[in-house]
Amino acid sequence: MAKELLRLDNGTSCTAWNYSGTRLAVGSSDGTLSIFDSRHPPSSSSLLSTFKSRILEGNIVNIVWLPPEYGDAVACISADGIVSLWEEVAEDSHSLQWKMCKSFGNSSSKVLDVRFGVSSTGLKMVAAYSDGNVRVFELLDSLELRNWQLQAEFQNVIESVSAFGKASCVSASISWNPQKGGGQESSFLIGFNSNTSELNSSKVWEFDQAHQRWLPVAELALPEDKGDEVHAVAWAPNIGRPYEIIAVATRKGLAIWNLGLNPDQNGRLSVERVALLSGHEGLVWQMEWDMSGMTLATTGHDGMVRLWQANLNGVWHQQAAFEPTS
Amino acid sequence: MPSDTGGNGSLVPFSGDSTAVYPLHHGLASPIRRISISFSCGNSLRLSLFAAASAKIVEVKLSGEDNEISDAHRRRIAYGSVAPFAMLQSRRSSLSALLKTPSPYHSDWWEHVLQYSKEIGSLLGGPKLTPSPIIENPSAIVKGGEEATSLKAAWELIEMFYVDKQSQAWLPERLVDWLADYDSLFTSTHETIHGKLVDFEKELVNIQVIEDDPRYWDLLSSALSVGWLDIVAKMLRLHGSYQLDQLSHREIENGLVEAVALLISQMPHLRPESVGKLGECYKSKPDFIKAWEKWRSQITKLDCSPYWIQCDNQQTREGLRNLLQIMLGNSESLCMATCYWIELYISHFLYIRPFTMGIESMYNLAQKCIQLKPRSSTHRLSGLMIGILEENTEVVLAECSREFGPWLVAHAIELLTAGSEQAEMLLHEERYSLGGISIAELHRLVYAQILSSHALTWQIAPIYLTSCMKQGMGLLENLLYRQSVQHNDVLLKNIEICRLYELDHISSNIMKIAGVYHWKHGRKGAGVFWLQQAQDASCLDRIAQQLFDSVGKSISDENFKQWEGMIELLGSESKPAGGLEFLHKYRDFKKSLQKVSVGKSTDAARQAVGSLILLMKNPSTPQRFWLPLLYDSLKLLNWQDCPLLSVSETNLLLNKLQELSLAKLRPQYTEPSLPSDALSSIRLALAINLGRAILDE
Repeated sequence: MAKELLRLDNGTSCTAWNYSGTRLAVGSSDGTLSIFDSRHPPSSSSLLSTFKSRILEGNIVNIVWLPPEYGDAVACISADGIVSLWEEVAEDSHSLQWKMCKSFGNSSSKVLDVRFGVSSTGLKMVAAYSDGNVRVFELLDSLELRNWQLQAEFQNVIESVSAFGKASCVSASISWNPQKGGGQESSFLIGFNSNTSELNSSKVWEFDQAHQRWLPVAELALPEDKGDEVHAVAWAPNIGRPYEIIAVATRKGLAIWNLGLNPDQNGRLSVERVALLSGHEGLVWQMEWDMSGMTLATTGHDGMVRLWQANLNGVWHQQAAFEPTS
Repeated sequence: MPSDTGGNGSLVPFSGDSTAVYPLHHGLASPIRRISISFSCGNSLRLSLFAAASAKIVEVKLSGEDNEISDAHRRRIAYGSVAPFAMLQSRRSSLSALLKTPSPYHSDWWEHVLQYSKEIGSLLGGPKLTPSPIIENPSAIVKGGEEATSLKAAWELIEMFYVDKQSQAWLPERLVDWLADYDSLFTSTHETIHGKLVDFEKELVNIQVIEDDPRYWDLLSSALSVGWLDIVAKMLRLHGSYQLDQLSHREIENGLVEAVALLISQMPHLRPESVGKLGECYKSKPDFIKAWEKWRSQITKLDCSPYWIQCDNQQTREGLRNLLQIMLGNSESLCMATCYWIELYISHFLYIRPFTMGIESMYNLAQKCIQLKPRSSTHRLSGLMIGILEENTEVVLAECSREFGPWLVAHAIELLTAGSEQAEMLLHEERYSLGGISIAELHRLVYAQILSSHALTWQIAPIYLTSCMKQGMGLLENLLYRQSVQHNDVLLKNIEICRLYELDHISSNIMKIAGVYHWKHGRKGAGVFWLQQAQDASCLDRIAQQLFDSVGKSISDENFKQWEGMIELLGSESKPAGGLEFLHKYRDFKKSLQKVSVGKSTDAARQAVGSLILLMKNPSTPQRFWLPLLYDSLKLLNWQDCPLLSVSETNLLLNKLQELSLAKLRPQYTEPSLPSDALSSIRLALAINLGRAILDE
């Protein structure tokens, strides 16, 4: 049932597939970035190593591909919270190579997660920092990944007046609304795992074009769960549903939320928690939707891969699970 | 609202029950520390398994397709079913346009569906075997050869009950034929008559006196009970009494065997002509009833015949009389003779309720047969059959989905709705719980996603997606977006699909991705081409800017060649590419300047001056080019034969120099890399030219 695609060396810490599933970026604990490419035609599934180099001092903990509209580029997040953007380019008459074009973060303010979203005005990058800040950067020149501008900086709170002490965040999870094109404003979802309960609950942020600012339009937590640390979030692709579907994982389980499409007079979107599913012994590592937004795959602390679906009555349930065995 | 039938109505049918846990054999020495997941196209899930000492990437395909059919055959079916499916969809839409009603199901619709069904059915397996040859291996009882699959059996079953209105009148007879074709499939889960026949056939060579073997008579009654008359007749001919070198007098015995065989071969059937099969066919019910009664009376007469007493062979006597009991519809004999409920069910139609027409009360009989023949393991076709007899579309759909996979469901929905308003409502009603789509659309989406998972089948997914009213296009967009632009064949196919379905925004997005990919990978020409196709003004503007920059830096002839081609590619339309108009004029100027440098023709020089003046007048010419342009033109300004610039032209250039010296004071001004005396030598040349021009005028 499972077909082996690749075996990797000791020290591999993270992997990421590009938009078409034909390139794989692999990060290692010694700071090495490797790129593997599928052969063509794709019927042969083996992957070829096309790049391998030590790009960082520390451990690469996560890799995120940039949208393909901006070339073949990855953001590597190191254990010490530095994000570096690497791009595959052939400059002048030189051959193709991976080059670093930008880095974000420093030792005092570590980057926990970054995600890229394409909006009508260009490429945006949301970065979540260990001090609880969220920064949105904008790419200034669509052909040049060196030049970014800070567009906004805010904290993941609904009421901007709420006061709290210095936040310390362990992890953060970001997911852009996967909607491509159309008239919709760009929006994303972010949740924290921190010591500051106000920051934690996942909130949907939407860009207000008229006032050029980001506004929280929905909070995905029941009143009694608002302080719960968020482990993972995932916004489902919407191929035509009259509502959005979002998965949020906290220690209480895996919640499926339906998010309305039309704001009320306060600009808020209606939210409804349609399921709370248990699995993974409470700690979810990662959640991924398939391209139709019908199946959610999750991994977690129990070492299992679980698949979730709604049945014909819209009731969510576990459809299958995979248990790794040697 | 229809209810979810026992948890079977899942969105994507994975085989097995809803809490199935599948082992994932990774073969790594140490236990897994962490797993990361990524969905690829369609239903393929990539897992990265990280262990202490190494890691492994595996791909898992999530689909409920069974292993009965090989991948290659499955793909053949997938490709083969596209044309009939598309044809039916187009018929449906033209019919509903014609009738102007929401439901296109008028009286003849089923004929279209039947044609569709026959075409699809023919993909699932070869034609049925032709009648056996007359001279053949005498020990071969059971016909073989045809590759029977459960998928084909399921398809035929659905077609028989839902679509084929013409044969509704002789439905029981069709079931008899169906079982004859597919009884072998049930052997995988339990004992069947077919299985017993095959076993017996293998041992036939070792059996000396066949009529003394009780299995011979058991099998005769079994085969007769489900109406396999040819097999029964053939087996009866193996009876020892037919042999010529008889030691004892077996004429009577032989006569009885022959009499039974004759009656069997005369069994009346209510069906159109069936070529090459034993039995007599009657198309009309009254004729059939008359023939049936006559036939039955002959059997009763034979049963009471005094010849039985004269038959010495007890085995033959009892065996033959049991066959008569079968034919007389003795329910106990039928129950003994059959192995599982479907066989018993068929035997009831043949001998107990021969006048049944249509589906009426068929379900009650089925339940009775199931009670008589309970089984621990049931075959998947059995579940499907119960659903059909129960006339419960949801159960049928759930069985198809769970046991046979998305292909069957997506295609069989057309059959299920062919004749039933109720099924039509059920399957085409839009539901909020499904995100606003119908069950029919859902199953098409699920099937299209399976197609999308494979590089060899993704290209047919659009046919199914575009037949989905609500969400098909959305999924198609996601599918197209996820195709790699690296390879031109895939890229062109992708764009072709976009063109076909008028997905302009997707195709321009794809072309932009391709443009950026090529541009960044050093194939500047291909990059510009695709960006132009995408009409991506912002990227093209940026490229034009980069060209300006490189042009501004140095204007050596070597460099000129490089960017000349690029300007050509970018085209002359200034709109999408911003300041390209300038680059075109600049190229013209450079060309005429080159001509001047090789010859001494004043005409060429005048032409070059013309280009220079156009460039300097043009507002799109960036200021930082002014000085390099003038510096390049020194030779023209100092032309020996005559002054090439008029007074007004010279004044224009002098004004530009003045503007430049003002611009120098601004902070963003960048000094062009020219010799330090460039400005003064230009000024001097202009002054001299002005003087000469004044004198000339």
